[in-house]
Amino acid sequence: MMRFKALIFLSFAWFSAYTSASEETYQFETDAQSALFFELTKELRCPMCQNQNIADSDAMIAADLRRKVYQLVNEGQSREEIIDYMKQRYGDFVYYQPPVNATTIWLWLLPLIFVFIGIVLVIRSRQQKPVTQDTAKLEAAEKLLEEDK
Amino acid sequence: MRKVSFFVLPLILFVGLAIFLFQGLFSDPREHESTLLNKPVPSFVLPDLMNTDLTYTTEVFVGKVTLLNVWGVWCVTCAVEIPFLEQLKNEGKHIVGLYYDQDIDPDFGIKTVERVQQEVEQKLGQLGNPYAYNIFDVKRDLSLDLGVTGAPETFLIDKQGKVRLHHIGDINPRVWQNKFASVYQELIAE
Repeated sequence: MMRFKALIFLSFAWFSAYTSASEETYQFETDAQSALFFELTKELRCPMCQNQNIADSDAMIAADLRRKVYQLVNEGQSREEIIDYMKQRYGDFVYYQPPVNATTIWLWLLPLIFVFIGIVLVIRSRQQKPVTQDTAKLEAAEKLLEEDK
Repeated sequence: MRKVSFFVLPLILFVGLAIFLFQGLFSDPREHESTLLNKPVPSFVLPDLMNTDLTYTTEVFVGKVTLLNVWGVWCVTCAVEIPFLEQLKNEGKHIVGLYYDQDIDPDFGIKTVERVQQEVEQKLGQLGNPYAYNIFDVKRDLSLDLGVTGAPETFLIDKQGKVRLHHIGDINPRVWQNKFASVYQELIAE
């Protein structure tokens, strides 16, 4: 019974995924254009919804951006031109790869700094100086032991 | 000395992280700086919503300070905002609507313009009409060029037709006071 229910659920899940994907059908002249379209809609971020790309999102703005990408791809614009077109309108936010600038450089530097600090700490703990023997104290200890006997 | 740094270092790290995350609690993830700030409104040729024979271009913004309000009858927050916009209009502010419809899809247009006009008249009849006129963004092209993510959004445009402020979300007395009022006064004085 359980298995049967799961099967029904799965078939519905598959069905809904299938229908939502087929709402829009875009025709391309070449395979390269179609590949570029799918690549870009995965890398462009929906400005309305947090952390969904425009291929994934059902928001109207995402549909509009998909249509725009389609139009630009069909006009023969290159990958960089389309990304710039979107950035001009929606800022760096719209593209998942952030540009390297004074604020974002820390995204790359901080992990490196942490790794560096970690390595330094490990090396320093390995290099701990051997304990120097204090002969005077040792003798005193021996004496104490002797006295106890 | 070693002992001190053993306790102080993690404490500093912890406090730093706490401050960073605490700020995050109050930041609005939907807030992005508009790329159009201090740039002219992108060029467009669009019809008036109520009289489609009339067309508007960027020239309509020249010579006065305009609040360009992106809205639609389907937008719930817009309905909340409109009474306050009307109050601003009554104070003498020039408010222009940028109207777009959800159901007029450029690929599968199913709704007639008459139907849209009817809905708008009904809605503004209920809520009051703050708009001097409405620009009808038929295919949502101008919205895309303006970097609009949804409705409501408002642009404050200066006398040269340049965007000086972009607000995502509704305008209410608090937003007006904190974000718009001083900039608006400056632009009027310019």
